[in-house]
Amino acid sequence: MTRDSAAPEVRIRDLTVVYKTPAGELPAVSGVSLTLTPGTITGVVGESGSGKSTLALSLLNAVQPPGRIAAGSVEIDGLGDVLHLGGEDLRRTRGRKVGYVFQAAQSSLNPLKTVGKQLLDLGRSHDVADLRALVADAKALLARMGLDGARVLDSHQHELSGGMRQRVGIMLALVLNAQVVVLDEPTTALDMITQATILRIIREVHEERALTTLVITHDVGAVAEVADDLAVMYGGRVVEHGPIAEVLGTPRHPYTQGLIRAIPRLSGDISLARALPGRPPTLGTLPVVGCVFRERCDKRMEICETVEPETVTYDGRTVACHAAGRPAPVKRREYA
Amino acid sequence: MTVTVIPEMTAGTTRATLRRNFWRGVWRVLCRKPSRMAGVVIVLGFAVMGVIGPLLYPANLPRDDNALYAPPSLQHLFGTDFEGTDVLALVITGARYVLLTGLATAVITVALGTAIGLFAGFRRGRWDSALMRLTDLNLAIPGLPLLLVLSTVWKFTSPIEMGLVLGLLGWGGVARAVRSQTLSLRERGFIEAARGLGLPTRHIIGRELLPSMAPYIAMNMLIAVTGAVYAQVGLFFLGVLPFDANNWGVMLNLAVFSGGALTTPAALPYLLAPLLAILLLTLGIVLIVDAMDEIFNPRLREE
Amino acid sequence: MITGTAITKTFKQRGNVLGKREVPALRGVDFAIPKGGAVSFIGESGCGKTTLGRIIAGLETYDSGEIVIDGTPMSSLTHRNRQPYYRRIQLIHQDPYSALNPTRTIHQTLEAPLRLRARQTGRSKGWCDVRAEELLDLVGIDPGYVLPRYPHQLSGGMRQRVVIARALTMDPEMLVADEAVSMIDVSLRLGILGLLRDLRERLGVSVLFITHDIATARYVGDEGELYVIYRGQVVERGPTETIIADPVHPYTQSLLSAIPVLHGLERPGAEQVVPTEALDEGQTDEGCLFSRRCPFSTARCESERPVLGHDGGESGEATVQLHACFHPRRRSVIPQGVGA
Repeated sequence: MTRDSAAPEVRIRDLTVVYKTPAGELPAVSGVSLTLTPGTITGVVGESGSGKSTLALSLLNAVQPPGRIAAGSVEIDGLGDVLHLGGEDLRRTRGRKVGYVFQAAQSSLNPLKTVGKQLLDLGRSHDVADLRALVADAKALLARMGLDGARVLDSHQHELSGGMRQRVGIMLALVLNAQVVVLDEPTTALDMITQATILRIIREVHEERALTTLVITHDVGAVAEVADDLAVMYGGRVVEHGPIAEVLGTPRHPYTQGLIRAIPRLSGDISLARALPGRPPTLGTLPVVGCVFRERCDKRMEICETVEPETVTYDGRTVACHAAGRPAPVKRREYA
Repeated sequence: MTVTVIPEMTAGTTRATLRRNFWRGVWRVLCRKPSRMAGVVIVLGFAVMGVIGPLLYPANLPRDDNALYAPPSLQHLFGTDFEGTDVLALVITGARYVLLTGLATAVITVALGTAIGLFAGFRRGRWDSALMRLTDLNLAIPGLPLLLVLSTVWKFTSPIEMGLVLGLLGWGGVARAVRSQTLSLRERGFIEAARGLGLPTRHIIGRELLPSMAPYIAMNMLIAVTGAVYAQVGLFFLGVLPFDANNWGVMLNLAVFSGGALTTPAALPYLLAPLLAILLLTLGIVLIVDAMDEIFNPRLREE
Repeated sequence: MITGTAITKTFKQRGNVLGKREVPALRGVDFAIPKGGAVSFIGESGCGKTTLGRIIAGLETYDSGEIVIDGTPMSSLTHRNRQPYYRRIQLIHQDPYSALNPTRTIHQTLEAPLRLRARQTGRSKGWCDVRAEELLDLVGIDPGYVLPRYPHQLSGGMRQRVVIARALTMDPEMLVADEAVSMIDVSLRLGILGLLRDLRERLGVSVLFITHDIATARYVGDEGELYVIYRGQVVERGPTETIIADPVHPYTQSLLSAIPVLHGLERPGAEQVVPTEALDEGQTDEGCLFSRRCPFSTARCESERPVLGHDGGESGEATVQLHACFHPRRRSVIPQGVGA
C-alpha cells in the first residue's frame, strides 16, 4: 500500500457554526481553535449541547441546513481548507482523505445489502481502479481486527453483533487509505468488554497506519484509554485542551474538574463524588454574553457575567477560564 | 437542533387553560403555511354552502324553458342545465347531500375501524385473531357490486343512509392500520408504566393510546371524507341511484350522457361546475391534512 | 421482601421451517431482595438481567421457579390476585423520554395514578394535587416549573426524575431501575443515583439496580449486594464493595478489567483478565458457560457446569461471597488511584 508522506496535521481556526432557529441564528460551535498534532489521537469530550458532533461534521464540511458554517477554517495538510472545497473535490476528500466512522455505526449500514456490496459501492463511487485489491485490503483490515473477513463481507447488517458492526464501520473508514480519521461516539451502545476491545483496536490501527485521529465522545473513560490529547467542550467552546494525563490529573477548568468529580468510580468514597449542579445547555438557553459555564460553576466571579474568557495557552495546555490562573490539582482525597 | 420556546405557564394550569392553549396552538400551526389557511377557508366555505345553501333558494329551483344549456353569463355563472335551471344554484344546493354523506361515512368508518383496531391491537391473542378475521372479511367484500345490487331494492334518499352503507363497507383499512399502530405503541415505555401502575384498560386506551394516535385518526377521517365523496359521486354518475337534479354525480351523468358535454361545448360548464366543486373540496381537505400532525403533537405545535 | 428460586425463562424465537430456535434467557436463577435493601444486577447486554428485572416487576412471565413476595408465593394466586403484590414493585425504564406520554403534561401524567391511589386509600381529589407537588419535591425538582410542561420541554435528567416520581405515586416498596442512568448525561448521573440512595434512606424503598456499568452500582447506597450475571446464570454474588475490590470469578474480573483507566488520575490494576472473543453465535451450552472465553478454563470447565456456592459449601447469606467457578482466585484488577 502506498501512502504519501507522514500523518497530516489538522488545524481548526476560529470555527463558528450556526443553526437557524425561530429565535434567529444561534451558534452550536463558537470560535473553536484546535490543532490535531500529526500522528496523535485527540479526544473531544462533551455532553449534549457541547457542539462536539457539529465540530466533527465540520471536518468533513458536512454541516447540513439549518446549520451552516459561519466563520473559520479547517486546514488539513495536503488538502488545504476543507471548508473551501465543494462538489466533486469535497466528495473525493470524504473517504479517501478523511475517514468518518459514524455514531452508532450499527445503524448506519444499509440493512438490505451485504457488507461486501456496500464496500464495492464505496470503491466505485470513489473511482477505485482495482476493486479486487480493495476487497483484499478490507479483508486484511477485518482480520487485523479479529474478524473472519470473508464471512463478514458476505453478511448483512443484522447478522453481525454490535461489536462486529462497529469494526465494519472502522474498516469502511480506513479502507480507502484516509490519513485523517474521525470517530463519532465509537463505543456507545457497546458492552464494556467489547468497548475495551474496540478501543484497543482503534489505538493499534492508528499506530500501524500513522494516522491523525479524532475521537468524539461523551465518555471520559473511553477517551482516557485511547487518546494522547484531550479537548473538553462545553456550550460550543473548547474550555480545556492538553495532554490527557495532565488534563485528567490536574484539570484547570471548573467544568473539567466537575466532570471528573461526577464520574462514578470503582474505588474511593462515594459521598465525595458529586454531580454537577444545573443542566447542560441547549442551543436556546446558552448565554450570549459572559462565560457559558457560569451557571454551574463553583468559582464564579463578577467578571464571568459579562466577559467571555479568553483561551490562554501556555505550557502545552489551553484553558478558557477567568479563574484558572495557575494549575490546581483536583483533591482526590477519596483515593487511598 | 431545535429551540423550544417555552410559553408563559404557571403551576395552576387548569383544564380550561390547556384547552385554550390548544386552540391557540392550532391557530399558530394553521398560520405557519398559507396553504393551510387556504384549505381551511375552502372547507369552511363548503360547510357554509352545505348549511345555508338550500335556504338561499326556493325548494323547487326555477326553470327557464327559454334558456336550455345556456352559455355562462352574468345571470348564470355556469350556464344552465337541460331544464334551464342555473347550474351554480344546482351545485350549491347539492352540496348538502354530498357533504352529509361524506361526513357520515367518515365518522362511521373511523369510529368503527379505530375501535376495532385499538381493541384488537391492545388485547391481542384470541380477540385479535377474531377481529382481524372480521376485518379481512370486510376488506374482501366487493363494495361496488354490492352497492349496485342494493340500489335495486333500497332507494338511498337520505344522505345518512348512503353514509351508513358506505361506512360499513369501508372500515377495514382503518382497522388494520390502527391495529398496527396500536401494536407498536403498546410497547412504549409510558404504556407499560401505565399498566405497571395498575391503571385501568379503558384509561390506557382512551387517555394514553388514543391521544398518541390522534393525528393519524384525524388524517384518516379527512381522507375518508374525500373517499366517500368520490364513491357516491361515482355511483350517481353510473346512474345507479335515484335521480336528484342537484346531485353532483347526477349532474355529471346528465352532462356527459344527455348533454354530450364531451363532444359539444354547449354543456361544458354544466360538466365543469360539479367537477370543479369536487376538486376544490378535495384540495381544501388535503391542505388541512398537512397540518394534522403538527396540531396533535405538542412538541411540533409549540415550536 | 421478594425472593426467587430457580427462575427459568426461555425465549422462543421465530425459526425457519426446520424448527424454532430457543434462547435460554435465565437458567435457574435464585435471588433475594431484602426490605430497604440495594441489589444490583451486573452483566452485558443479553445476559438476562433485564429479563429478570422485568419478571420481578411483574411485566414478564417465567417458565419455572417460584417467586415469593412478603411470604406469599405467587404461584398460589391467580393472575388477578397477584397484581396488588406486583404493584408494590415499580419499574423505571432506561429511556425517560419514551417512558412519558408526549401528548400529556406532567400534571396529567401524574394525575392519573394519583387519582387511582386516592380511590384505593379513600382520599379526596384535592389530595392528588398536594401529593403531586410533594412527590416532585421529593425527587428534587420544582413542581411549579415542571407540572404544566410537556416531556419534550424538560431535560433528560428531569424527565427521569419525573418518571421516578410517577413510580412513587403508588407508594411502592421496591424500585427496579433498568439502566436508569444510561441515557442521561454523565455530569447528571450521580444526581439520579444519589436520589435513589436518598429514597432508600427516607422512604425505606428497596432498589434493584440493573446496569452494565459496575461503577454506578456502588452509588445506590450502603450494604448493597451485587449479582454478576452471565448468559442467564449468576456467576458471582456478594456484597458490592467486596466483589469489586476482590472479585473471584474470571468473568467478573474481565468486566472490571475492561473499565477504562483515567490515566493521570489512576493506574491500571495489578492484573488484567481479558477474555477471548466469542464471535460466533453458536456458543455451546455444555459445561461452564464462560469456558469458551475464559483464559483459565480447563477440560473440566468444558464438560461440567459449576454451581453457585461458597467454597465452604453454604450459600444464601447476603454477606457471603458466592461464585460459580472451579478455580476461583482473587485478582486485583481495578484501577488504583495515583493520589493527589
